Amino acid sequence: MLPLWRDEVVIYFAPNRVALTRVTRGIRSRVVATRHCEVTGGSAGNPSAALACLSNLLTDDQWHGASARLIVADTWVRYGIVPAPVVKLDEDGRLSHARYVLADTFGDSLSDWVITLTDAPPGRTYIACAIPTALHAELEDVLLSVQLKLTSLKPKLVAAFDIWRKNLPFAEYWFVSLDEGSLAAVQITDGEWRRVHTARLGKEWPVELQRLRAIGRYTETSSGGGQLFVDATRSMRVTGMEALSDLTWLEPSTRQEGMPEFDLLQGVTI
Amino acid sequence: MKTPRQIRLDFVAPVNESRSAGLALMILGLAAVLGIGAAFNAELNERAGLEARIESMPRIRRSAPITDPKLAAELNAVQRELNIPWSSVLNELEAANHDLADTVSVLSIVPDPQKHTVRVVAEVRQLPDALKYLERLQNSAVLRFPMLESHERRKDDPEHPIRVKLTAEWHT
Repeated sequence: MLPLWRDEVVIYFAPNRVALTRVTRGIRSRVVATRHCEVTGGSAGNPSAALACLSNLLTDDQWHGASARLIVADTWVRYGIVPAPVVKLDEDGRLSHARYVLADTFGDSLSDWVITLTDAPPGRTYIACAIPTALHAELEDVLLSVQLKLTSLKPKLVAAFDIWRKNLPFAEYWFVSLDEGSLAAVQITDGEWRRVHTARLGKEWPVELQRLRAIGRYTETSSGGGQLFVDATRSMRVTGMEALSDLTWLEPSTRQEGMPEFDLLQGVTI
Repeated sequence: MKTPRQIRLDFVAPVNESRSAGLALMILGLAAVLGIGAAFNAELNERAGLEARIESMPRIRRSAPITDPKLAAELNAVQRELNIPWSSVLNELEAANHDLADTVSVLSIVPDPQKHTVRVVAEVRQLPDALKYLERLQNSAVLRFPMLESHERRKDDPEHPIRVKLTAEWHT
């Protein structure tokens, strides 16, 4: 196995579900193992149960000795859209600016969170994302304990957007990523992220989508700008298409189905 | 259809690295290495081919040994002539003549290849000038044992110069 083509373990880490898949790398990558675990007693505020579930899954030798790509549920993270600064800032300056914007939205509770930013050209807004420092460190520790080298840690909304972006238009719309118990949506105008909205979902989750559709109509700048493109797990998609048929429910093609992270996010196990 | 660009946001992986550009550069580098390797291999093959052709060509035969003594003597004479270090001897004599140009006029220089000597005929106004010229030649690295063979005042010349004959050996 070449060092650049190490096997990869892709992990989805959510309060109520942990799923992982191992992919062999090479000319043609191939899924060789998939497992998942329903977390009992998991909640957005306490990741201990999900971490225990992940540790338990990783005790199996088949997951060891690979690089790890981790996708965390949107309930663990916070997003912010940082306006372009009027002066040129270095990396530390951009981080301080982003921290200020996030504190303005979420208060001082994020002061000790880890923040990462997108790399945007000067004069453009950029996206900031924060994750609790403790959770970040605990995830790293769990992976290191089984010789898994963490190479990527992304929030679900970003991972889902990258999966679907080639099916999305360029103009104005909302992209919504649904999971059991949570919703993350981003308003996109001319290919740029303008606004991010997250919410926890209950049993009556279609109501939250209707509310979002109302916000979309209220905030649209062009006719039809409030259109919603929804990425949802298979079961939620079936329910949602019946309840809200006027939304655009994204249907996977062979391109999406060939991505190992897609099945994880969709809750499909082999 | 124009689609939104990829969102590069990651808590671990660097977001400002272009993997595609890196991959393209790596492919370009590998292609260059392969190209240079192929060109070098072609040059090696061409060289090997040329060497093989040279090996396969008939060798130039040496001429038969010379048995005629007269011809052998002539050849030896020519070889001796060719072995005279003319350039360095003449340069040295010219340099000496240049140093004492006001007092010494060189009339002739005659080499003797068999004895490895050179005979210089010159004219001076006074005998000490000839001795200075001799001393100058004694300091030469090319010539050795310079000697004043004879001197004679020319009474037939209105200025009565002294004609001197010098000999010296050259280093072989």
